[in-house]
Amino acid sequence: MSKKRLGFIIKSLPYKTEASKLAVTHAISSQTAEIYLEDGDSVEPVICFIGDGVFNCIKGQQSMKHYGITSIEQHIKNALLLDLKVMICSEDLEKFRIKKESVIMDASEMGGETLAIIASYTEIQKEMNAVDHLLFF
Amino acid sequence: MKLCVFMSECRSGSDLIDRLEAEKLGIILVCNGVYHAAADYEIRSWLFPKNAHLYVLAEDLESRAIETSRVAPEFRVITYSDIVDLIFNEYEKTIWI
Amino acid sequence: MGRLTIGSFSSPAGTMSLDFAIKLAEAAINKGHAVDLWLSGNATVLGNKDQKHYKDYSHLQKTVKLMFNSGRFRMAICEACAETRGCHKDITMDECIRASMDWHLASCFSADRVIMIGDN
Repeated sequence: MSKKRLGFIIKSLPYKTEASKLAVTHAISSQTAEIYLEDGDSVEPVICFIGDGVFNCIKGQQSMKHYGITSIEQHIKNALLLDLKVMICSEDLEKFRIKKESVIMDASEMGGETLAIIASYTEIQKEMNAVDHLLFF
Repeated sequence: MKLCVFMSECRSGSDLIDRLEAEKLGIILVCNGVYHAAADYEIRSWLFPKNAHLYVLAEDLESRAIETSRVAPEFRVITYSDIVDLIFNEYEKTIWI
Repeated sequence: MGRLTIGSFSSPAGTMSLDFAIKLAEAAINKGHAVDLWLSGNATVLGNKDQKHYKDYSHLQKTVKLMFNSGRFRMAICEACAETRGCHKDITMDECIRASMDWHLASCFSADRVIMIGDN
């Protein structure tokens, strides 16, 4: 019985490519990975937004209205609803002058209790050290 | 951690490399990343971390008309077979930027 | 020997990132390692049967077939990504697995090394 931790590190901007969306949806799929694993084995993702990737975390995305696709905001909320660990780099928010109030922090309207964590890059680096494998997007 | 970074871009990615911390850091230039290894081009506007082990993929150099003789001395020119050995024997984690 | 899981989103034609993934997989297999290749997004097109070879584009299918013959290679495509692109089961290579993203995560669980080529 073992658990492997995977770090999904998102550095890409949203929408021009699907990299950041696929990162979040892949992380969410950890919830059903057990069907392929031995009893008791599991995969635990941690999602970290760094660099340009922090732009994925801004509230109020209307991609359904304009592109007809689920927003990355919704995917992030789904991740929080499933209690996945979501970290957002505080230095990068500051660098781009993104206010903390404009960042997706919870999925409370869906009944979620887990909050996103605004963390220093040092904290994110610690997660990168701690996980078993890193996946950059 | 022992981290191997595949750098595939010529114009971006340096900011990420600057921030990475690793007990052992390897940087393998692949795809358009190989331009950084050409000693005679003015491409590099930043410095690779001093403690990093630097490699460049021979095939991708050749595809882009960069002769091995022009590669800066800090880089080791390697093959795909060498990459396999490096990632299995020298490093624990890999990232692609 | 070890197990390597490679993930890629890159199209088989139009960018060269997937070429890197295939060549790395081939080199690992030739050294006796086992390789899982997970294709998502535009990369799923590589799972199509009967791809023609034009000299202006990479032709990775030939190498993929050789890797299947090694018995140490699995290739899976994201079913939703493939269906979105009109790549239905009837045009998918017989050896290619169609699965959801959890297949990739389970493969990462079993892998000694993981490389995610997360650009398009």
